Amino acid sequence: MKINEVPQDDVPDYSEGIKKGNYALDDKGKYVMVPSKGWVVDEMINRMAYDEYKVKEEEARKAVLAGQKSPLAYYMELRQMTPEILGKTAGIAAFRVKRHLRPEIFARLKPSVLGAYANALAITTEELITVPKNPRER
Amino acid sequence: MTLESTATGKPFVHHHAAHCESGVTSAFFRDKGVDISEPMVFGIGSGIFFGYLPFIKPAGMTITTFRSQPGAIFRKVAKRLSGDFVVKTYRNPQKGMDELRQVLKTGQIVGLKTNLYWLTYFSERFRFNFSGHNLIVLREIENGFRISDPTLEHPVDCPAADLQRARFARGPMEAHGYMYYLTSVNPNPDLRQACIKGMKDSCNLMLRIPLPIFGIRGIRFLARKIISITEKFDLNEACRLLADIIRWLEDTGTGGAGFRYMYAAFLQEAADLFGSAELASLSEEMTAIGHDWREFSLVATRIIKQRNKSEETFAKAGGLMLNCANREEIFFKRLQKVVRKLKT
Repeated sequence: MKINEVPQDDVPDYSEGIKKGNYALDDKGKYVMVPSKGWVVDEMINRMAYDEYKVKEEEARKAVLAGQKSPLAYYMELRQMTPEILGKTAGIAAFRVKRHLRPEIFARLKPSVLGAYANALAITTEELITVPKNPRER
Repeated sequence: MTLESTATGKPFVHHHAAHCESGVTSAFFRDKGVDISEPMVFGIGSGIFFGYLPFIKPAGMTITTFRSQPGAIFRKVAKRLSGDFVVKTYRNPQKGMDELRQVLKTGQIVGLKTNLYWLTYFSERFRFNFSGHNLIVLREIENGFRISDPTLEHPVDCPAADLQRARFARGPMEAHGYMYYLTSVNPNPDLRQACIKGMKDSCNLMLRIPLPIFGIRGIRFLARKIISITEKFDLNEACRLLADIIRWLEDTGTGGAGFRYMYAAFLQEAADLFGSAELASLSEEMTAIGHDWREFSLVATRIIKQRNKSEETFAKAGGLMLNCANREEIFFKRLQKVVRKLKT
């Protein structure tokens, strides 16, 4: 790849000014590192994965508002976690985490358990018991 | 390049690099007065690799790695250039953070393995649950740390709470607060010996691991899987799996084409070092292999974009990857022969 072949596509909402290093050949055939503004291929692939998180998060939020799931489910998706990872982070067994995703069981949780979840998810206990009314902007 | 300083006021020059771990290792050696480039570090540390690990799924995505496991490059380079280093992991996050602060106070710069999701200085698009990102902590500042992340152009600040979460995030490939630094280096390291060791090691890793998911065998395994992927999965799922591969190949800071261009850059430097025309021609061959990988990415993206409506098919993408496997096999066998003839 020559220096002028390094992708320099304008994908501002993806790169946000972050330039990725690329190795390319200069005029004399010597390798140099060239910062790349972005590449549409990268952007597309990244958006696929990113949208997937977004969809999961939004589905969880709607399920919580409909009373099918507990707010824990929403924050778990928000932090890209699974019950296993959340359980390890909060020090609670995964099967208990899965139970706590049910709203009626979540409503009866002790403050100490809520505190452990809030700490693991980097939010406050007050935030943990509700979900945002509107989809998160990003 | 940006000028920074450590806790004791010692100057530190931040360089932009393509890949996190090789960038970190190169910065460590520069800090100790041995000027060594990122591709050189990548080659000596035997960074080039291939592995397909469908059973490890951070954030629901299968791992296809084009480099050796996180942490290996630093350890191998430090050993091969006869530097003394410290590697530590912690069970207790508080203890891990306290020791980090203590080491920083002595003016030492410290490398950390972190989880990308909790590094808030990245934009949200880059953050996902993957515990394998390396960075350098320069010094403690008010409420946080000054960080030299080699994949960024300039040093950044990171709050202490975020850094602690990033170091001790749970899930696949846990870092356990993995912390490492160089204590001393040999001011005149034997680069030629180290290059030979690195290249031999890479050949073994690519050719001789008797498991079907690593090295050349791994590329063939994955290529065949892609060819027959639509028999097993529906179109959406197949596209998703293909996108995961491209993400590891191009999106995650590889210097282009899954580190293949970076390795070509290493071979070019090595060719100058040894005055070897054979290494120079191998470097050109590696560049060509890089082009083939890039061709694969482009075809794969077209498949994903047009959902199999164009003439590009999964069989074609898999075929391109098989071609990469064949070329790399010939390449590494040739490299093996060339390395044997090199003199230290």
